[in-house]
Amino acid sequence: MPATSLAPKRVTRAARNYLSDLWSRREFAWYLAMGNLKARNASTTLGLLWWVLNPVLLGAVYWFVFGLLFDRDVSEFGGLLFVVYLLSGMFPFYFTQTAMTGGVNSIVSNTQLLANLHFPRAILPIAALVEGFVGFLTSLIAFFLIVGPFNALIVGVTEATWPSFDVLWLIPVMAIHLMFNLGLSMLVARLAVPFRDLNNLVPYLTRMWLYLSPILYGPVTLERAPDWARAIAELNPLAPVLELYRHALTGLKTDLPSTFAAAGLWALALLVIGAVSFIRYEGKMARYL
Amino acid sequence: MTDPAIVAQGITVRFRPLVDRKPTLRRSLGRMQHRVSEEIIALNDVDLTINKGEAFGVVGRNGAGKSTFLRVMAKTLRPDEGTINVYGKTSTLLQLGVGFNRQLSGRRNVYLGGLAAGLRKKDIDEKFDSIVEYASLGDAIDRPVATYSSGMFSRLAFSVGMAIEPNILLLDEVLAVGDEAFREKSLATMRELLNKAGTIVFVSHSLASVAEFCDRAAWLAAGRIRALGPAAEVVEQYREAVHAGRA
Repeated sequence: MPATSLAPKRVTRAARNYLSDLWSRREFAWYLAMGNLKARNASTTLGLLWWVLNPVLLGAVYWFVFGLLFDRDVSEFGGLLFVVYLLSGMFPFYFTQTAMTGGVNSIVSNTQLLANLHFPRAILPIAALVEGFVGFLTSLIAFFLIVGPFNALIVGVTEATWPSFDVLWLIPVMAIHLMFNLGLSMLVARLAVPFRDLNNLVPYLTRMWLYLSPILYGPVTLERAPDWARAIAELNPLAPVLELYRHALTGLKTDLPSTFAAAGLWALALLVIGAVSFIRYEGKMARYL
Repeated sequence: MTDPAIVAQGITVRFRPLVDRKPTLRRSLGRMQHRVSEEIIALNDVDLTINKGEAFGVVGRNGAGKSTFLRVMAKTLRPDEGTINVYGKTSTLLQLGVGFNRQLSGRRNVYLGGLAAGLRKKDIDEKFDSIVEYASLGDAIDRPVATYSSGMFSRLAFSVGMAIEPNILLLDEVLAVGDEAFREKSLATMRELLNKAGTIVFVSHSLASVAEFCDRAAWLAAGRIRALGPAAEVVEQYREAVHAGRA
């Protein structure tokens, strides 16, 4: 069977064919994404605003619990106000969360397309990701509107400078984050076909992931934690991505070369694992529907 | 003199259905270990050649493998064994309105459906007016598809399906779309396709339309071809068998 042969030449040729197939169907992916976005916006009163409201409301809940009730000091968050620290992690995290929920449904909720038409199936998780990315970009505008005043308050009080050209780091960071989310999205999309149960699991997985990510706690909090807990938190693939976002969004400094390397390696690994497992499984998808 | 449009050789498709028995906890746990239980053979070593310019019918009972066979030809299902060669541009109308989003306007759906079927955006731009005209939708094209009557929906979907100008059309029970006038129009379009050396593969439970419309037909039973030949004869054989309770 050619599909399972792993001769390197054949694999590169197959990969190139697949990519050019994908590229030739890019308009389809775009229309699919925009169509879904439009339909969703049409069916809710607030539409695209939910992209802002979701991370803000979630952030508000956590700010109330961890910011007000526990009363944390700015020193725990590198000098950032907790609300700024929280939201600068919450917005990017919410993009990864939607990439997972969108990905896990992308194949199983499009059975009609799969049963009837022949096209590279990766179009479906890609379209879901594009839809999420458009929402994420929209939400970032709101992020600056909300967080800007808070940030301006602390300029001069801490090392963080804002506004600064650090914002430009958003471009490479988002590129890495997109790779990361695409790999993740394809992986869960593929796994959800034989294991529909994943659909029910994803909300708990993402909630757990949120708690294990540097969003509710800061670098100092981590130093107080037991070794094993810190080890787990440091292994979190999303942690370097979030640190980079924080650097770009709030000016809270991080060691750029090592953080970029860690984030990039995780993203690349996820993308390769996600794409390879997805594409190798493509031919079988139709028979589980 | 007859060129093949579709050549199937030794096609075998097996399914391992997941929801086969009453789901109990013990069985779902067991399923994680022994997935390879209870195979269903949907198609069993099927050889078939369908020629260009031919209207080919497929008849058989529910579960005989008809739809599976169409899906193999549409290349949405990779067979476990055997090879399938399809020579030409295929339009698949196994279901109508595939890729449509009912909340969006008809206009938007023409693009969605067309792109899903493999057209490019600029092709759709060019053909847009004729698609709408063929579906005789008029101003309704800018209304959400959810507000369409089922006839309007079917007309639009059929019109989009024909817009890719296929050489090979795979149809599943959709001949009866729209009202009488549209039915006539769609039949005329399909005859035109056949005259241009196009091919139609038609799966139906309506034996009369198979006998009337198709040149040849195959009778599928339990994943195998039970009979193959001129449509009228195959339909007659099948009908007799059903009456005798042998099919």
